[in-house]
Amino acid sequence: MVVGDGQRLGAGWLAVGVAPTVLFLLFVGLPLVALLVRGFGHDNFWDSLTSETVLQALRLSLITSAITVGIVALVGTPMAYFLARRQFPGRQLIDGLIELPIVLPPVVAGLAMLMAFGRNSVIGEALTSIGVELPFTMTAVVFAQLFVGAPFFLRSAKLGFEAVDPALEEIAQTLGASPVRTFFRVSLPLASRALAGGLVLCWARAVAEFGATIMFAGNLPGRTQTMPVAILGALESDLGEALALSVVLVVMAVAVLLGVRVAIQRGLGHVL
Amino acid sequence: MTEGWFQHRQGEFSLEMRWTVGQGEIVTLYGPSGAGKSTTLRAIAGLVRPAQGRIVVGAQEVFDSSRSVWVPPHRRRVGFLPQGYGLFPHLSVEQNVAFGIQRSSPEDRARRTRELLQALSLEELAHRYPHALSAGQQQRVALARALAPRPLLLLLDEPFSALDQELRRDLRRELRAVRDTTGVPIMLVTHDPADALALSDRVVAIDGGRVVAEGTPLEVLERPASPRLSRLTEVENILEGEVVAVDQEDGTMTCDLGGVRLIAPYAPMKVGERVRIGIRAGDIVVAVQRPKGLSAQNALRGSVRAVQARGFESEVLVDCGRLFRAEVTPRAVARLGLAPGKAVWLVIKSNSCFLIE
Repeated sequence: MVVGDGQRLGAGWLAVGVAPTVLFLLFVGLPLVALLVRGFGHDNFWDSLTSETVLQALRLSLITSAITVGIVALVGTPMAYFLARRQFPGRQLIDGLIELPIVLPPVVAGLAMLMAFGRNSVIGEALTSIGVELPFTMTAVVFAQLFVGAPFFLRSAKLGFEAVDPALEEIAQTLGASPVRTFFRVSLPLASRALAGGLVLCWARAVAEFGATIMFAGNLPGRTQTMPVAILGALESDLGEALALSVVLVVMAVAVLLGVRVAIQRGLGHVL
Repeated sequence: MTEGWFQHRQGEFSLEMRWTVGQGEIVTLYGPSGAGKSTTLRAIAGLVRPAQGRIVVGAQEVFDSSRSVWVPPHRRRVGFLPQGYGLFPHLSVEQNVAFGIQRSSPEDRARRTRELLQALSLEELAHRYPHALSAGQQQRVALARALAPRPLLLLLDEPFSALDQELRRDLRRELRAVRDTTGVPIMLVTHDPADALALSDRVVAIDGGRVVAEGTPLEVLERPASPRLSRLTEVENILEGEVVAVDQEDGTMTCDLGGVRLIAPYAPMKVGERVRIGIRAGDIVVAVQRPKGLSAQNALRGSVRAVQARGFESEVLVDCGRLFRAEVTPRAVARLGLAPGKAVWLVIKSNSCFLIE
C-alpha cells in the first residue's frame, strides 16, 4: 500500500527533508519573532513609530524606491526586449555587465559611483559647473538604488521575453498588428509574470539598499536617510526607533509579497 | 491573382521559387522537408525578405526588389497558419479570433467573430483558453482567426501534420468550404501526398529549393520529377475511374479504371461515383504464367513495355490497357526473363488498392 511505503520512507525523509526544513524555519523565523516581540515590547515603540525620524525615512524610502521602480520599468522593459530579441556583436558583454551589479558588493558600487560622479571626478566637475550636484542628494539615493536594483529586473524581464515564442509575434503581424501593437498585445502580456516578478525583486532590493546609498548619498535625515540607513543611525541613540523602523520594513515586505501573489493569481491565472 | 518569384539564400541553401494562385484555387507546395516550402510561405507573408524577386498578393504588389518595394507583414492581407497554429495563450478563443479585426467598430467586430465561431462550430468554446483545446479545435480557432480580417490569400504550413485521419478529413472539408464560400485562394505546404491529392487543384512540386514539376495532382504525383520526390510519394500507380459495383457483404467494390477493372476494398460509395485508386509499385506481383489458386482478387494480363533499374529495385512498366509500374528485384527480372514485349500477369491484392479521397 502506498501509505505503508510512505511510512517506511518516513525515517529517511525525516533525516533529509523534514528536519532541515524545520531547522530552516526556526533559523529564519526566530530572529523575525524576536524582532517583533522586542519591538512591540519596547517602551517607546509606539511613539517611535510616529517619530520624525521614522516618518521622514519611511517617506523618503517610499518615494525614492517608487521613482527607481518607475525608471526601471520604463527604461528597462524596452531594453530587456531588445536584448532578448536581437543578436549583435558585444551582446555577451552587455549580458555580463547587466549581471555584474548583482554580485558586486553595494559598498563598492557606492564608492565607484562616487569616483564617477563625485565632486572631484570629470563628470562631477562638469555637473557642478552647470549647477548640478549629485552626491549626497535624493537623486544620489535613486542612483544607488538603480545601480543595485535594475539588474534584477533586467535579468528577469529578459528571460521573460526570451520565453515568448517569436512565432506568436509573427502571427500577430500577419493579423495586421504593427510591431508596436504586437509588443503591447502579445509580447508584454505574455512576459508580464516575469516583468512583475522582476519589478518586485528590484523594488525589494531598492528599499533594502544600504551600502551604496551610505557611500554615495550619505546619511542626511530627510534628504538621503532612507529606512535602512536610519536603522543604523537609530541603533546608536534609540533602540526603540531602530526596532520600529525594522518592523515597518518587515510588514512592508510581507504585504508586497502577498499582494503580488494574489494579483498574479487573479489576473493571470489562465496563462498558467 | 496571386503570383510571384524570388531567389533567396539561407546559408548554403539557395532557393528559387515561382508560383501563381488563381482566384478560388487551392495550390499545394509539395516536397520533402527542407525543400524550401515553408520559406516560400514566409516570404509571401512578409516574415522573410528574399534577396531578389517580386510578390503580388491580390492586386497589391508587396515586394519588388528591383524597385525596393517592401510591404511589412502587418500591411499585407495574407492569412497565415503556422505549424503548431500559434494561438495566443493569454487570449480566449473569442479574443483570438477577434485579434485581427481590432480596427473595425465594436459591433462589426462582435458580428464577424460570432459569424466565424459559428462557421467553424466553435461557439461553445468561445470563452475557453487555447491550452484547454484539442489539436483539432486549436486548428479551427487558428483558421477562424486567420479568416477574420478577410485575407486575399490564405497560407497554411503543414496544416495536417498533427491531426489524425478523421480530423484530416474534417479539415479538408472545412478548407474546401472556406474556398467555396469566400473564394479566397489557398496555398498550403505538405509533404504528404494524400493531402496534396485530396485537396488541391494544382500541385507545385519542390525539391532542393527548385520547382521541379507543376500541374494537376495526378500529373505531378504519378510521375515524380526527382528520386527524392518519388520516395516521398511512394504511390507509383494512381488510377481514376468510376465505381461499377459495390458488394458490402463481401467487403469489396469493383471499379472501372480507364479500361482496367479492379476489385478494391469496400467504401461507402455509390455505383457511378468517381473514384481514385492508388497502388504502390512494390505491392504488385509479376508472373509470367496465368496465375492459379490465388487469394488475390486481381490478375491483369498485359505486356512489358520497359524495364528500368532504379537503385536496388527494377521498375517494370506493364501495359494492361493502361500502364502500370511494378517493382521487382533485378534477380527476378533475370529469372523471369522480363523484357519489352514479354507477356505477363500482374497480381494485385484488393487490399493493396487504396482509395484516395
